[in-house]
Amino acid sequence: MPEIRVLNLRKSFGTTTVLDGIGFTVHDKEFVTLLGPSGCGKTTTLMSIAGFQTPDEGVIAVGDEVFVDRRAGIDLPAERRNLGIVFQSYALWPHMTVAQNVAFPLSLRKVDKRAARERVAEVLDLVELGAHGGRYPHQLSGGQQQRVALARAIAYSPKVLLLDEPFSNLDAKLRERARDWLKHLQLSLGLTTVFVTHDRDEALAMSDRVLVMNNGRVLRDGTAEEVYHEPRARFVAQFLGRCNFLTGRVESGPDGTSLLRTPAFPEGIVVAGAHPGPEATAAVRPHAVELLGPDADGVEASVLEAAFLGDHYRYLVRIGEYRIEAHAPHRIASGPARLRIPPGAAVFVD
Amino acid sequence: MVTTLEIPAAARRPRAPAALGQALVSVLVVGLVAGPFIPLVYSSFRSKPVYLPGGVFSLGGYRTLFADPAYWTAVRNTLLFAVGTTVLAVAGGTLLAILCTRTNMPGRRAYGLLLMAPVVIPPLGLIVGWTAIYGQGGYLTQLLSRNLHLPVWNLASIPGMTAFGTVVTLPVAYLTVRASLSGTDASLEDAARSAGAGLLAVVRRITIPMLRPAILNCGILIFALCLEILGIPLFLGGPSNIDFYASYLYRSWNQGGTPDPPFVSAGAVLLLVVVSLLLVVRARLSGAEQRFVAVGPRGGGARRPLDLGRWRRPASACVGAFLTVTCLIPLLGLVLMSFVRVLTTLVAPWHLVTSDNWHAVATDPALRRSITHSLLIAAGGGAVSVALVAVAALIAHRSRFPLRRLIAPALIYPRAVPGVILGIGFFWTYLMFTPGALVRNNLWGEAIALCVRNLTLAYVVIQPSLTRIGEELDRAARAAGAGWWHIARRVLLPLLRPALLAAFVLMFITLLGDYDPVVFLQKPGTEILGVTMLQYWSTGVQGPVAALAVLQVVLVAVVLGLGARALRRVTVADA
Repeated sequence: MPEIRVLNLRKSFGTTTVLDGIGFTVHDKEFVTLLGPSGCGKTTTLMSIAGFQTPDEGVIAVGDEVFVDRRAGIDLPAERRNLGIVFQSYALWPHMTVAQNVAFPLSLRKVDKRAARERVAEVLDLVELGAHGGRYPHQLSGGQQQRVALARAIAYSPKVLLLDEPFSNLDAKLRERARDWLKHLQLSLGLTTVFVTHDRDEALAMSDRVLVMNNGRVLRDGTAEEVYHEPRARFVAQFLGRCNFLTGRVESGPDGTSLLRTPAFPEGIVVAGAHPGPEATAAVRPHAVELLGPDADGVEASVLEAAFLGDHYRYLVRIGEYRIEAHAPHRIASGPARLRIPPGAAVFVD
Repeated sequence: MVTTLEIPAAARRPRAPAALGQALVSVLVVGLVAGPFIPLVYSSFRSKPVYLPGGVFSLGGYRTLFADPAYWTAVRNTLLFAVGTTVLAVAGGTLLAILCTRTNMPGRRAYGLLLMAPVVIPPLGLIVGWTAIYGQGGYLTQLLSRNLHLPVWNLASIPGMTAFGTVVTLPVAYLTVRASLSGTDASLEDAARSAGAGLLAVVRRITIPMLRPAILNCGILIFALCLEILGIPLFLGGPSNIDFYASYLYRSWNQGGTPDPPFVSAGAVLLLVVVSLLLVVRARLSGAEQRFVAVGPRGGGARRPLDLGRWRRPASACVGAFLTVTCLIPLLGLVLMSFVRVLTTLVAPWHLVTSDNWHAVATDPALRRSITHSLLIAAGGGAVSVALVAVAALIAHRSRFPLRRLIAPALIYPRAVPGVILGIGFFWTYLMFTPGALVRNNLWGEAIALCVRNLTLAYVVIQPSLTRIGEELDRAARAAGAGWWHIARRVLLPLLRPALLAAFVLMFITLLGDYDPVVFLQKPGTEILGVTMLQYWSTGVQGPVAALAVLQVVLVAVVLGLGARALRRVTVADA
């Protein structure tokens, strides 16, 4: 069963390094997301797996088959890799109908005409476009086009599916529906999937594992929860959502925890885990910060701004000369307040 | 504390000045383009040339034309030539465009540029060069037939002229297909390869079918160009007396018992109708192209091109050989021809070296005049045309002037109709409508005809750049209180500077080499390069014509070089 192994990929265009030693493994039937800002190397990595980019160094293998091994001089042409891929632009051939688009990979594999017709109908039904086989791509809506692209990618039952920002051309509402629907399809077909996106909601909602990338490196590799709650790198923490960073001196605390004393929190914040250095930075999500009325326990603070965002309020709070963002479900009046960072809410980052 | 600066409200500009200026420019453009066709049609329905008294309405012109067997021979030749040339040029241009843009053929970038050579080499230069090498008395032809006793080709035949026509029109197909290729998302081909398609399958099933509109489009354009071609039958067909449509009109005009007979106008009108119909068909077809527009392609970075495998080098060698045979050798032949008394394989060329040809160019008053005149028209006419087209394009696309929709077709039309027809039209217009000899029998008339004919080229360079300038820029300027002319002068024209410069360079090059519309207008004393070369060539003078052609090529190269440098400066200054 296929398992995608990527080892030490390196690539540079002139003096800019695009891939700086990328390595990861996607297990069978796993959904792995490459998440990062534009230019981080995620699409280049995906296109290297697909065979449209050649890395300068590194190995890519799927199952027993080596796609790329620069040392051994192996570089399998894209057309012999037998992958399903959905491009950001969908890349539907405009001169072919929906059914012809989906049948194309089958006809290349010399599938018997009747069998091909049946398979096309089956796949189109799967993406709920059974009635649209005779239409041309431009006669479909964006969401429908996206599903045709997916149908074409899975038409000949490839074991590996590559998705290059497939939702970026859809509007917000459609995007959420397409997301649930694709995840469901991936699970039921048992496809090993690599998904590229810069949208953290997509990444968190769909993936078995998320790889956060920046500047051609993988900064964090883990489940959605792990990556979100223990980002380890400042960039990862920031990319996955709003975050406060507090820097100060570290002391060892009780039960293997640490105590971080910062100018705003001279009493110290309890952070899980030990830290070697005398100085450290901890990240705290705004929703983990406890913002209370002026009579409660905690550090003296003052609420500067408040914004109502539907399911919560966002506050900008001042402690001395420092500013902290806090999210809370309840309304707190501007002016004096108390603020607390409960033990375990903060985690160390680089 | 914010201080409020007291600024007077923008003066309410009266609407009249903008509208008046726009009206003047529009009327000028539309009038210049449409004007020549009215007297042309009128004169085709007269019993006598309009300058003779006593002419009445008559279909005699058309009757004479249809009764002339030479006319039908010319029609047949033209059709044979046009079909052959179109098929070969479209096939070759498509193949070369795919090779140069989508594959990993070595040298594809350099070839991509060199393939445009036939566009910038002055047309007559290339013809003379081909004659010098591949013509009946040409160097290579002689070498093969006399010295090696091998069977040879005949350039003065319809297949021979088709071969040359293919070389001249191939860049049209190449450019159209290349533009279409670069406009489509390369991931369409990547998707096919992911689906398992090899090189040939991708090209055959994805690339070429998607190019169908572009292929059809340039096919019709090339066919229309072939119908009006004049230089090829005059220079190459001369020895065998093979006439094409345009050369039939040209000869009949010059050799008839009465000068300027109505049946020539009739022939011109018929050709005009055919070509116009072709263009209507083409416009209709391009309207149906919508389904070939792929969904919004986003930049996908540098993708790996199609791998030609072991055909990489052979393909590259073939393209190189093609360029060498069609452009490089003829250009060398042209240069050689300008430095020898006669180009022959019987005597080594260094025994025949002479500076007579160049001496003639430097001293013969008619030749000297034609050089100065051509340079004057190219520089002055080019500048004026670009200015006029720039303003007209702004009116057409960035104004609310009521008649603005007429302008774009008016700017496209002159290049779409055969040059000889435009020339005949201008001849009658000058004769019938202009008081005295205002523009008749002088350089002004020729300059106007040449410039009007090539307005289209300036427009096709300027228009795409204009559409890339967002309309918000106009709106922002209008919100700030600027009127239309103000916006044009301060916002749009400065932003268009690179396009204006490119348009001028293209106009200069074209005006230097073009001659079709002037062959009916030139009189002694008003020579321009192209027509002079044509006339000298037809009397058997070859050396000086080659020298003039070399001069043209050198001038074009210099202007292209200067233009490229200036363009870089303008673009850098803008960045």
